[in-house]
Amino acid sequence: MHALIQGIILGILTAGVYALMASGQTLIFGIMKVVNLAQGAMVILGAYLAFQLFTSFGIDPFLAIPITTVALFVVGVLVQLLFLRPLRSDDRSELSLLVTFAVALLLEGIMSVIWSTSDRSINTHYANSSWTVFGYQITLVRLWAFLLSLFALGLLYLLLNRTRFGRAIRASVQNPESATLLGVQSERVSAIGFGLGAATAAAAGSVYGLLYPFNSGSHYDLISRLLSIVILGGLGSVGGAVIGALVISVSSAIVASAISPIWSEMTFFIVLLLVLLVRPRGLFGTAARGAI
Amino acid sequence: MSEPRELLRVTDIEVRYGAIRALKGVSFTVGEGEVVALLGANGAGKTTTQKTISGMLRPAVGSITFEGRRIDGIPAHELIGLGICHVPEGRHVFPRMTVHENLEMGAFRFKRVDSADLERVLELFPRLRERIKQQAGTLSGGEQQMLAIGRALMGKPRLLLLDEPSMGLAPLIVAQIFEIVREINTTGVTVLVVEQNAAQALTLADRGYVLETGEIVLEGTGRELLADDRIRAAYLGEEIAAS
Ligand SMILES: Nc1ncnc2c1ncn2[C@@H]1O[C@H](COP(=O)(O)OP(=O)(O)OP(=O)(O)O)[C@@H](O)[C@H]1O
Ligand SMILES: [Mg+2]
Repeated sequence: MHALIQGIILGILTAGVYALMASGQTLIFGIMKVVNLAQGAMVILGAYLAFQLFTSFGIDPFLAIPITTVALFVVGVLVQLLFLRPLRSDDRSELSLLVTFAVALLLEGIMSVIWSTSDRSINTHYANSSWTVFGYQITLVRLWAFLLSLFALGLLYLLLNRTRFGRAIRASVQNPESATLLGVQSERVSAIGFGLGAATAAAAGSVYGLLYPFNSGSHYDLISRLLSIVILGGLGSVGGAVIGALVISVSSAIVASAISPIWSEMTFFIVLLLVLLVRPRGLFGTAARGAI
Repeated sequence: MSEPRELLRVTDIEVRYGAIRALKGVSFTVGEGEVVALLGANGAGKTTTQKTISGMLRPAVGSITFEGRRIDGIPAHELIGLGICHVPEGRHVFPRMTVHENLEMGAFRFKRVDSADLERVLELFPRLRERIKQQAGTLSGGEQQMLAIGRALMGKPRLLLLDEPSMGLAPLIVAQIFEIVREINTTGVTVLVVEQNAAQALTLADRGYVLETGEIVLEGTGRELLADDRIRAAYLGEEIAAS
């Protein structure tokens, strides 16, 4: 029982980081109908940037987030303008799979050249500190990571729901034609939307680098997890992505403690298969794309 | 009555969807302050005409001027800046936004929402005021149509393009909507309305044009068209022999 609860706590804390990565990915899908297969690579790029800022300048990965998010925002905007905008809208969804996969490979190549392919990790002085609360161990880094993810998701929520630009994004997601007729410039919304998606990847990347060792090929594993999450939540729904991350992280943590850590790796894909079989639209994908 | 100043002039436009020529040289004008009706059977090209005016489609041939300025080729998101507001066929509200948010989106082209405009729209559509916090997707069809029109009004239109505002609505609501369009017109907004409901549209309209497979085949004042045998037969469902 103790191990199970410990597993659930771990699962919830981990879910925050995945929720952040996945919310960016689902946002990009919602706005552009693009499944961004480079989201994982962008997370890893964010992790490398945090790693570099830490090792070269001693900047704490949490404090580096404002820098890395801006950098990845620019990368995201460029990817949209250079690679996605030229695609014609009628076959954009299909072609975007190829294009974003190519972007992932390109980023992987660049990262391999700059940082080699060996594992890196960000070893801050607090990397191994933990608290014990009622006999349960809570790693400090994971708690900070979780709180940071909540904070970032909160910012994203406010941006989408309380600002004029956010309203324009939601309008474009819900009815692109009407949004255009009201003066929303869909190209600009797409570019900024892609940039925002990449920025969430950067924020999550800093945290990911603190939690796990990573290398330039880590994005394959990451993107398959992210796809499981966003498909479970319903593509395009930010709220769904958060719930999806929670469900999948907690269930894989439970599986890890109740059965075996080997099976926990599989949980993502078993959940994905189940969703595709039972409810292909995902939890919040019913009346088109849920919560945004 | 003196001729109104010309606001919109469509000259010989041809619009193609791939190999299909949906409009084959359409010309007409709309004067400042007029209500002009565009009639025609299904597939005649009415929606295509409006989409071309609002910049969603580009004519392959021909030109469109608004207040004497050429506007064909200007993208839709810029055209609204001139005061051309298009309410497309089939009530395209933002379903997961509230009524209020939808109306705010209507004023997107301005940096801030004009509360006097909001008040005016809510006065015109009291039902929207009652449902101001409701998600637009849960409104009834008629309410969604009111919202779509109200949203367009938030953009301070000079020319309002309405595509089948009465589609799928009960007769009472249709009458209400037409009454509101008349009210909007009296505040100085020019209206180009596409309708299947020819009797209502022509009663309201100063002038009308009839499209048939991409060409204008008939034009006249509302009264003339209402009295025209061909219109009566084709759109008012009357037997010519009987009239
Ligand atoms: N996206 C499209 N691709 C190909 N053909 C189209 C497209 N949109 C319209 N058309 C064709 O263009 C012609 C005119 O269509 P349009 O929608 O303008 O007609 P309409 O007069 O508005 O008809 P309705 O009263 O049914 O709304 C039709 O023959 C239609 O099939
Ligand atoms: Mg039509």
